[in-house]
Amino acid sequence: MSNYALVGKNMPRVDSKAKVTGQALFTADLKFPKMLVGKILRSPHPHARIVDIDISAALNIPGVKAIVTGHDTIQRKWGVFGYTQDQLFLPADKVRFIGEEIAAVAAIDEDTAQQAIDCIRVEYEVLDAVFDIMESLAPDAPLLHEDFPHNINVHVPINVGDVEKGLAESYYVREDTFTAVEDSYFQGEPYAVVARFDMDNNLEIWMPNAGPHMKAKPLSNALGIPLNKVRVRKITIGGAFGGRSEIAPADLICALLARKSSRPVKIVYTREENSIATRQGHALITTIKTGVGQDGRVIARDITCYMDGGAYSSTGPIAVSVPFLCMEQAYKMEHVRYNGYRVYTNKPPRGMIRIHGRAFACGVDTQLDMIGDHLGIDPVTMRLVNAREAGEFTNTKSHVASCAMKDTITKASDRAGWKEKWGKLPPLRGIGIGCNSVQTGFPMGIRGGSQATIKLNEDGGATVISGVVDNGQGNDNMLVQITAEELGIRPEDVQLVTADTEVTSSDPGAYSQVSTFIGGHAVKNAAENVRKQLFDAASKVLKVDPDDLMARDRMICVKGSPTETGIPLKKVIRMILASGKSVSGQGEYWPKVDPKREWVKNPFGQMCGAFSFGTTVAEVEVDSETGKVKVIEVTVAQDVGFALNPLVIEGQFQGSVAMGGQGGILTEGHVWDKGSVLNPTQLEYKVPLACDMPKINTIIVESNDPEGPYGTKESGMSIAMSAAQAYAAAVSNAIGVYMTDFPLTPDKVLGALQNKMELETPNQNEDVMEKTLELVVPAV
Amino acid sequence: MNKQSLEIIINGEKYSLAVEPNRTLLEMLRDDLELTGAKEGCGEGVCGSCTVLMDGKPVRSCLTLALEASGSHVTTVEGLAQHGELDPLQQSFIDHGAVQCGFCTSGMLMGAKGLLLENPHAGAKEIRNSLSGHICRCTGYTKIVEAVESVVESSKEKR
Repeated sequence: MSNYALVGKNMPRVDSKAKVTGQALFTADLKFPKMLVGKILRSPHPHARIVDIDISAALNIPGVKAIVTGHDTIQRKWGVFGYTQDQLFLPADKVRFIGEEIAAVAAIDEDTAQQAIDCIRVEYEVLDAVFDIMESLAPDAPLLHEDFPHNINVHVPINVGDVEKGLAESYYVREDTFTAVEDSYFQGEPYAVVARFDMDNNLEIWMPNAGPHMKAKPLSNALGIPLNKVRVRKITIGGAFGGRSEIAPADLICALLARKSSRPVKIVYTREENSIATRQGHALITTIKTGVGQDGRVIARDITCYMDGGAYSSTGPIAVSVPFLCMEQAYKMEHVRYNGYRVYTNKPPRGMIRIHGRAFACGVDTQLDMIGDHLGIDPVTMRLVNAREAGEFTNTKSHVASCAMKDTITKASDRAGWKEKWGKLPPLRGIGIGCNSVQTGFPMGIRGGSQATIKLNEDGGATVISGVVDNGQGNDNMLVQITAEELGIRPEDVQLVTADTEVTSSDPGAYSQVSTFIGGHAVKNAAENVRKQLFDAASKVLKVDPDDLMARDRMICVKGSPTETGIPLKKVIRMILASGKSVSGQGEYWPKVDPKREWVKNPFGQMCGAFSFGTTVAEVEVDSETGKVKVIEVTVAQDVGFALNPLVIEGQFQGSVAMGGQGGILTEGHVWDKGSVLNPTQLEYKVPLACDMPKINTIIVESNDPEGPYGTKESGMSIAMSAAQAYAAAVSNAIGVYMTDFPLTPDKVLGALQNKMELETPNQNEDVMEKTLELVVPAV
Repeated sequence: MNKQSLEIIINGEKYSLAVEPNRTLLEMLRDDLELTGAKEGCGEGVCGSCTVLMDGKPVRSCLTLALEASGSHVTTVEGLAQHGELDPLQQSFIDHGAVQCGFCTSGMLMGAKGLLLENPHAGAKEIRNSLSGHICRCTGYTKIVEAVESVVESSKEKR
C-alpha cells in the first residue's frame, strides 16, 4: 500500500463550493463599468463572395459604439499548422458556411446591438456550394480554397509493413464501410467572451478555453500585438470536450470591438451560435479491410477514411490522425495502411471531440465482431487475441511503457457476466464490448511542456502558479491535491494562480488529456523542489540527513517517527525567510516525445508519454415496435495508470458513458438541409437525460506508468470511445444485424429489423414447410 | 417600452423594482440584480440551468416574465444556504462529486430543492425523472442522483 496522505484517495473537489453556491463566475456572468454588448452578423449563404458591406445606417443608430468588419483586421489567416492556415476571422473576400462571421457591433445594450446588426447591408455574389464529402471530391466541384486542390484539406498517408502480402496470407479477409454524421459538443455553457484594453493597450480577455496559452499566441498574431500584451484571464469554464482548444473568431472580434470602442465588450453566444459557429465533430466515411489468421489475430488492415471537415482546417492533421492512432494503440496488427482525407465542404468547421471519429472506432470493433462471428470466436476472445500489451511498439513506432488493456477486458467482461450472457440472452436483448486507447498528448512543439512555480508564505500557505486550466474535469483540484501531498500541507493551505497568461509560464492546456501527465507533473516537480529547500533547512535543526525527512500534517519530521516530534512547517519557512531567501521553486515537465514526429510528413516516432486503455461492456434491449434501445447495464474498466482521485475518475467514467455511448451512439447527430443545421438547439439535438441513463459499474485499473506523476495517465476519454463501440456492438447483437451507420436512432434500428424480417421470412416459411413435411412423411 | 412596477421577495429580501413587460425573470435576476447563479444555457426552457424557486416551486426563469413573479417569493441558488450553513443538498453535491463544470449545478440544485420541498421522501425513480428536466453534459447524472438520494436518506435517519 502507498503511504500517501491525499493522492489515491477520494477528495471532494476544491472548486465545488463556489459552484454550489452560485459564486463561481463564468464568462457571461462578468460585468464591468461601461461594458458594451457585442453581436455578430453571420452569413446566410453557404458559399458567397462578399461584394460590399455597408455599415453606414447601423453606425447612425444611437447607442452603437463600434462596428468591425474584415477591414479592421490585419487579414492574417488562422490555422493550427503553418500549412493549414486557411481561416480569416471576419473574412473580407468570401464566406464558406452558413453562420460565418461577417461583421460585429458593440452597443449599449443587446436590443440596440441587434438593431444595428439588422441594419448592416451586405451584397453577396452567391457561389455554388458543396455539402457532401464525395461531391466535394468530384472533379467539377466548386473549390472552397484556391490553394487546396480537389477540396482536400489534409491527406495523412501511413504505410507500415506490406499490407498486400499480409492480406494475401490471411485466413479470412473482409471489407466493410462505416459512416456517421456530424456530432456536437453541447457544452453546458454557450460560448462567451469578454474583452477590454487597459491604458497601456494590454488586452485582458476571458473566455471558456482548453488552454489559455493556446488562445493567447494566436490572438497576439491576429491582433498584431506582442504576446505579453495579451492576458487571457482565468474564469470558470462550462465544459470543453475538445471544442474549445483553438482561438475562436469571437475572441478576435470581441477584442477588436473593445479596442475600437475603448470600452469593455461582452459577447454571449446563443445556443444556436454555439452549435453552428464554434466547432462540430466530423462526419466520417470509413472503409476498413481486415485480414486475420484462423485464431482471429489481425494480420493486416487497410483503412481509408474520408472526414467532412467543413469550411476550414481547424486541427485538420490531428483530426485525421487520431482515430487511426487510437486504433493502433489499442490493437496489434502486423501490417497496416492508412489513407485519411479531410475534405472541405460548405459547412461549419470541425474540430476534435471526445468520441472523435465514432464511425472509425465503432467500425473497427464492429468488424472484429463480424470476423469473430465468421470464425466462431466470441468478441471477448477476439479482443484479447488482438489487445495491446506493455512493452510493445505501435505500428508508428511509439513505445507503450504501461498497458493493462487485457486486464480491462477481463475485468469488465467478468463483472458484466459476459460468459453467462453471450449467446444466451433472449431475443432483442444484446451485449457488446468495445476497447480503445487514448494518448496523453502529442508532440506540440514549443507548447509541449509545462512550467510551474510554487511559493510558500510565512504562515505555511502555498501559492501555485501554473498554466493548467480547469474546463470542469477537476484540474484545479488535481493541482491542489498534488501540491498538498508533496508539501505535507492541507488542501485549504493551497491557493492557485492558474490559467492566466500574464503570470503563468507555458502549458499545453487541457488538450489531449495532458493536464495531469504534463501540467500536474510540472507542479509536482516544483513542489519537490520547494520541499527540498525545506528539508535542507530542517535537516540542520533536526541533525538528520534530508533524505530521512518527510512532510506530513504541516510538520516536517523524521520518517517513521510521529509527526508531532518534528518541526512545524511554517517555522522552517520562517527560518529560510529570515536568512534572506525566498521559499519558492520551479518545476518543469517535458514529455518524452519524438520532436521529429509530424502528422503528415513523418507520422513515426514517440507520440506521447503514455497511453490509457479502456473497455466498456454494454447490455441493451431493443423494442421491436419502436426501434428504441433501452440500455440495461454498462460496465467500464479503464487503465488510468494510477487513480489520483477515484471520486473524480468515476465521474469522468460516468460522464463518458453518457456522452460516448448513450448520446454518441443512440441519439446524437446533426440533421442538415444542405448547409443548414436543422437541430442546433438542445430541444432538437438529443443529449442524454437522467432518465435515459443506465446503471454504470466502474472499474479502475492501475498499471502505474513509469513516467506519469505517481504513475498517473488519463481518465475518461478511452471510456467515452469504448462506450460508443460497446453500445454499437450491443445493439447489433440484440437485433442480429451489424449496424454500420451511426448514430443508431430508432428509425435505423427499426429499418434494420424490418429488412432482416423480410429477408428471413421466406426462409422461415421454407423451414416451417420442411418441418411440416417431416411431420407428415412418417404419417404417410 | 414602459416599465411597470414590481414587488418581489428574492432570497428573503424585499425589492421594489420597475421592469419592462418583456423582461424575463432570468434577465432581471442576472442583469438587474447581479444574481448570476442562475444560468442561461438555451433560452427556451430546455436545459434547466436557469431554474429558480417561485413560491417553493421550480420554474424556468428564462421562460418566466419578471412581472409574472410579482408578489411571489423567489429563491435562487444564492439563497439556498441559510445563516452561513450550506443546504444539505449543496453539501451532498460537494461530497458526492456531483459537480464538474458547474454550469448546470445551480439549476439542478433548485430543481432538486423543489422536488424535496414537495416530497421529502422522493424515491430514486422520482428523483431521476424530476432531474430529467435538467441537462448535464459532464457527469452522466449518476452522482447527481446519488447526491439527492443521500439527502432523502439522511432526512429519514434524522426522524
